[in-house]
Amino acid sequence: LTEPRAPGRYKPPATETNPALEDPTPDYMNLLGMVFSMCGLMLKLKWCAWIAVYCSFISFANSRSSEDTKQMMSSFMLSISAVVMSYLQNPQPMSPPW
Amino acid sequence: MKNLYLFIAVLFIPWSFSLAKYDEFEDGDDIMEYDDNDFAEFEDVSEDAVTESPQRVITTEDDEEEATVELEGQDENQEDFDDADTQEGDTESEPYDDEEFEGYEEKPDASHGKNKDPITIVNVPAHLQNSWESYYMEILMVTGLLAYIMNYIIGKNKNNRLAHAWFNTHRELLESNFALVGDDGTNKEATSTGKLNQENEHIYNLWCSGRVCCEGMLIQLKFLKRQDLLNVLARMMRPASDQVQIKVTMNDEDMDTYVFAVGTRKALVRLQKEMQDLSEFCSDKPKSGAKYGLPDSLAVLSEMGEVTEGMMDAKMIHFLTHYADKIDSVQFSDQFSGPKLMQEEGQLTKLPETKKTLLFTFNVPGSGNTSPKDMESLLPLMSMVIYCIDKAKKFRLNREGKQKADKNRARVEENFLKLTHVQRQEAAQSRREEKKRAEKERIMNEEDPEKQRRLEEAALRREQKKLEKKQMKMKQIKVKAM
Repeated sequence: LTEPRAPGRYKPPATETNPALEDPTPDYMNLLGMVFSMCGLMLKLKWCAWIAVYCSFISFANSRSSEDTKQMMSSFMLSISAVVMSYLQNPQPMSPPW
Repeated sequence: MKNLYLFIAVLFIPWSFSLAKYDEFEDGDDIMEYDDNDFAEFEDVSEDAVTESPQRVITTEDDEEEATVELEGQDENQEDFDDADTQEGDTESEPYDDEEFEGYEEKPDASHGKNKDPITIVNVPAHLQNSWESYYMEILMVTGLLAYIMNYIIGKNKNNRLAHAWFNTHRELLESNFALVGDDGTNKEATSTGKLNQENEHIYNLWCSGRVCCEGMLIQLKFLKRQDLLNVLARMMRPASDQVQIKVTMNDEDMDTYVFAVGTRKALVRLQKEMQDLSEFCSDKPKSGAKYGLPDSLAVLSEMGEVTEGMMDAKMIHFLTHYADKIDSVQFSDQFSGPKLMQEEGQLTKLPETKKTLLFTFNVPGSGNTSPKDMESLLPLMSMVIYCIDKAKKFRLNREGKQKADKNRARVEENFLKLTHVQRQEAAQSRREEKKRAEKERIMNEEDPEKQRRLEEAALRREQKKLEKKQMKMKQIKVKAM
């Protein structure tokens, strides 16, 4: 029953060739995170910077192992710097929208 | 590695906070010292002035209560000073006589009297107050982040435990059936790693190979995204379950030509829309499985009735009935090419490549709240998979069935060619035009007029020949038609 023939090699699943099947969440979140952190830095909006931190965390949690960590780290550092810069420029606490 | 980065980054946040807060106080101290020196010259002249001016600076940073009283006192002193100035002229260096300021001693009484006026409390900016309470939004945010990180770690570990529970139960069966269990494609030689290949925090792969009939089997454990808090919250609204997807690639000679699927009705309807082969070969709607002795929850999609008859033997029916709750879909296809590709018009010039495949999708019981025991309960399903592999090898269509199958495949190919006929024609046309243009350019670029003339003549002759050929063909067709 189990005549071992020359085993075939591992082939990664076809998601690489078919981009429609891939989960786009980490890419969207990465982009969103960068947009929010730029908004937070330029317009000095604290809540933007905080949302950027959240986006970069979500992108990290959903990432595929094939994605390199450099991009993740850069978006993460950008969002942290946005938060820090908005607080250095204006140390007042955030006011809730209500 | 990823965890290490996370922790370092999390430490940054409170550190930067403390930096931002203390900067203000340092600046305040500097200003005070500077003001002290500024007003030092007034020390002899009037003690009140000296004591009150530094206080004026302090009030902005101390409690609100002290602020107003000192301010008002200071204002009145200032007025008195101005009056004195206008009276005497040069005021800064001259010592003041008590006689000159008769109303001066009354000043404290006057200021006390004025205390009865309503006190307006100055609003000290929140960031200068010495309390953390005003930063409650920030604390909320940081708490949210910490909650996310906690959930990430917990979810990742749970998925990991579930994966390994599955693997430990199935390892024996797999190793007895396959020569190579576990290969991540990185080693030069095909050696069995005996481990799951973690693609993601929620997807684990296992490649098994080295068995008769099949080229290989790829098992994907597709867990729910427990590591992402957003996903966890979304699942509270819409429950979903973990899935185990098994894709067996058969050798060409080990499987006959047919397309067949069985599974839950919902899954089959979705697959019929999405999958290239099911949509092309199985035109009917999924039929209820009750006809073949299956529970009502399962339906059957098939190219020909004969295939269903052949597939539904006693053992298969037993498997499907017993584990109906765990089965999402089972698909046997010799024309498997994955889901329909969304392509723009004009790009589709070739049929997608097909492989003989058996595709199984199982739902892990527990609907999200899975435990390692649930993963272990999938073991009989793996036996079913092995049985199906052997069955697919043994099952052969009879002559009629084979003819029908061949006809179907020829029909599909013809349809495809018709669809792309227009595109292929256009492609051929454009190629011919390109050739002509290239020729013309060559002729134009020829500087020697003699050569030009010769090339032109050659081109003309070629065109004439072509025309003649066409005319001959038309004549032949006409003769044949007659």
